[in-house]
Amino acid sequence: MFDVQTLLILIPVLPLAAALATAALGTRLLRGRSHVPVVTAIALSFVASILLVFQLQERIDERAAQPGSSRAAGVEEVVARWSWINVPDAMPHPVDGRAETPGWGNFNIEVSLRADPLTAVMLAMVTCISMLVAIYSIGYMRGDPGYWRFFAYVGLFVFSMTMLVSASNFLLLYVFWELVGLCSYLLIGFWYERPAAAAAGKKAFLVNRIGDVGFVLGIFLIWTTFGTLDFGGVFQSVGQHAGDWRVTAICLLLLLGACGKSAQFPLHVWLPDAMEGPTPVSALIHAATMVTAGVYMIARCTPLFAAAPDAQYAVALIGGITALLGAVIAITQTDLKRILAYSTISHLGYMFVALGTGTLLGITAGMFHLITHAFFKALLFLGAGSVMHAAGGVIDIRRLGGLRRRLPVTYWTFLAGCLSIVGVVPLAGFWSKDAILLSLHDRSGLFGGGLFEILYLTTLLGVVLIDFYMFRPLFLVFHGQEKIPPEAGDHLHESPGSMTAPLVVLAFGSVVVGAYFEWTHGFAHFLSFTPSFECLAQSGHAAIDTADKWRVATIGSVLTAIGIAAAAMLYLGSGKAVARLARAMNVFGLYSLSYGKFFFDPIYNVLVVWPLLSVARLAAWFDCMAIDSLVDRCGRIPKLAGAALRPAQNGLVQFYALAMVFGVLVLLGIMLM
Amino acid sequence: MHPEIALLNDFLLVGAALFGVGLIGFVSRRNMIVMFLSVEIMLQGVSLSLAAWGRFHNDFGGQTLVLFIIAVAACEAAIALALILTLFHRRCSLDIAAWHFLREANQPPFRDVPLPEEPAERREPWPRLPPAGVRPETFGEKDKYRPRV
Repeated sequence: MFDVQTLLILIPVLPLAAALATAALGTRLLRGRSHVPVVTAIALSFVASILLVFQLQERIDERAAQPGSSRAAGVEEVVARWSWINVPDAMPHPVDGRAETPGWGNFNIEVSLRADPLTAVMLAMVTCISMLVAIYSIGYMRGDPGYWRFFAYVGLFVFSMTMLVSASNFLLLYVFWELVGLCSYLLIGFWYERPAAAAAGKKAFLVNRIGDVGFVLGIFLIWTTFGTLDFGGVFQSVGQHAGDWRVTAICLLLLLGACGKSAQFPLHVWLPDAMEGPTPVSALIHAATMVTAGVYMIARCTPLFAAAPDAQYAVALIGGITALLGAVIAITQTDLKRILAYSTISHLGYMFVALGTGTLLGITAGMFHLITHAFFKALLFLGAGSVMHAAGGVIDIRRLGGLRRRLPVTYWTFLAGCLSIVGVVPLAGFWSKDAILLSLHDRSGLFGGGLFEILYLTTLLGVVLIDFYMFRPLFLVFHGQEKIPPEAGDHLHESPGSMTAPLVVLAFGSVVVGAYFEWTHGFAHFLSFTPSFECLAQSGHAAIDTADKWRVATIGSVLTAIGIAAAAMLYLGSGKAVARLARAMNVFGLYSLSYGKFFFDPIYNVLVVWPLLSVARLAAWFDCMAIDSLVDRCGRIPKLAGAALRPAQNGLVQFYALAMVFGVLVLLGIMLM
Repeated sequence: MHPEIALLNDFLLVGAALFGVGLIGFVSRRNMIVMFLSVEIMLQGVSLSLAAWGRFHNDFGGQTLVLFIIAVAACEAAIALALILTLFHRRCSLDIAAWHFLREANQPPFRDVPLPEEPAERREPWPRLPPAGVRPETFGEKDKYRPRV
């Protein structure tokens, strides 16, 4: 019916058209119906994405059925609609004996989209979650004065995100990388009258800029090293550059960019603050889709990272640090959305760790976790939004309690999300967590194994910690004595159907998606046909030992069970045990560190913000005192000249007549000469 | 010297003399009527030289222009005298130095002789129409300063 090319263009264009229509007609024509175009367009995009996945699957089946074909060749289709920039021979040929890529130096940027398994998976995930969140927003945002604005932004975001994952060269990727950042900024600061929201938007924007500097420098270096920015050209020729310091530098710079977008240590500080935005935005942008752009980018650049093992270690190390850091901070926070935000940071860390292993197993595990995480984290955020909706905007878990009976749908779906995220057999989180653990275990025997051994243990520690920080809010908010904040009034009720329906769908997804992918082996098989992963398939990896598989799964499950039991004992009982534990932990200062979020914000204030502010104040003072006063003095010159000439304007008619006579005489004199 | 050139010379000399006298008069006198007369004299000086040049070139354009100037000067004289009259009504003086509104705002006005100040409230003597058959409506006291006719 539709071929791949049409689908690939339709997926981003539909939300863009809807966003433009909403922006143009929202205030006058649509008003309360502003969701109609955007939700419809995203739903159509979702259908198109699913069709795209099926079509690619068909091709893969064809490829696999051909006996003589090489297993390694990926499946891809590139659609180039028009050439954006074309400067032939923009760069001289290298003189230091480096290999040239085909098409070296032609600065030809095409607006080209690519369809390969990695993109198709991302597109399906992005459009699916966006559709559900958009439906949820109908209920959540109802009555907001910026209703149309919200849906216009969401449409723009879906356009940018789908373009980001289907872009086929680095420059285009960067453009949409920035555009999703812009949407994030607009939506964090959606309630811009609130100073906290405006400040959070600004912070997110600025911290992301630091990462983007790295990204753009990486792109520059790609250009000077490879002479092209096209994915295909760069990835084909990267093999000739193995061991080049430039490739390592490129990877580290790209990693910096990914750290900014995916909120990795040390640039993770913006994500918790971004929770000032509306909750559907937190679910869509700051949990499921935009923050995974960094993971996607590193997965996409696998050939580069495969040629730079040092950079891969850096990816794994940063992921490990972030995973542990996020988990430890999340345990003591009191704001439900912030707990989920730190949990997101932690889980993105796991994805980075998995990507850092540099094996096909690890990258598949990372992408697998990306998909399952999108489901259960979006579910948890939307559940938190439902609680907020019912409790009149209160999100502090200390002020809520025993809402189990009041909000049954929210409770059961939130419970499903919790069980899934901590990795209870056989929910989605279990399979992806298991895949990550397995990839780390698999890698720990190889070269550089020491690092991965440590990361493996760290991840196991994280498996225990997550039980605490996920079940703590669950128990405090939904169990125990009923505590209803006064803001909720006397109308605490379950959310409307447009909000609970997406919750139920997401809960269903969180429960089954992992098992489905794992049992059919469809996901790993599908993804392994991505051209970016060809280099890994060629290198090959040992088949996984079944005994290892069982051992890892058992260790993980046992730790999860112990963690849940401990969390239940702690948080379902009286508060004394918790207080005692907090005191015990505080002997090492751990509790304060965690509660103070490891004091990243004050440290950054002292190290970065204050020096910059001082420089800015100095510059302002210099501008005011030196430059401005100079300009003022220049401005006084005509004033003084005017004062000197002013007595001539004395109002006497004769004086003017005399001046005229002299003028005429002077003219006469000039003419006669 | 050719008699025509000599004649032209004389006319031009007289014209220049008239212009100069008018100029000096305009610049040095403060009486508005005298100043106006001086301007007229300057005008006549110019007209004379125009007529002389017209004759010299055997071209009646000069003479025609002079007739136009005389006609325009007549109109101008009527307007100028009316203006002078109005100004005189305001200040009860013909001294041009009484009018110095062209000066820069913060310049001190030139004033060597004291002038009677302008009355604070001006009452224009509106023309009163004679009653034609019907006795017109009167407003009593208001008639003296009603805002429009």
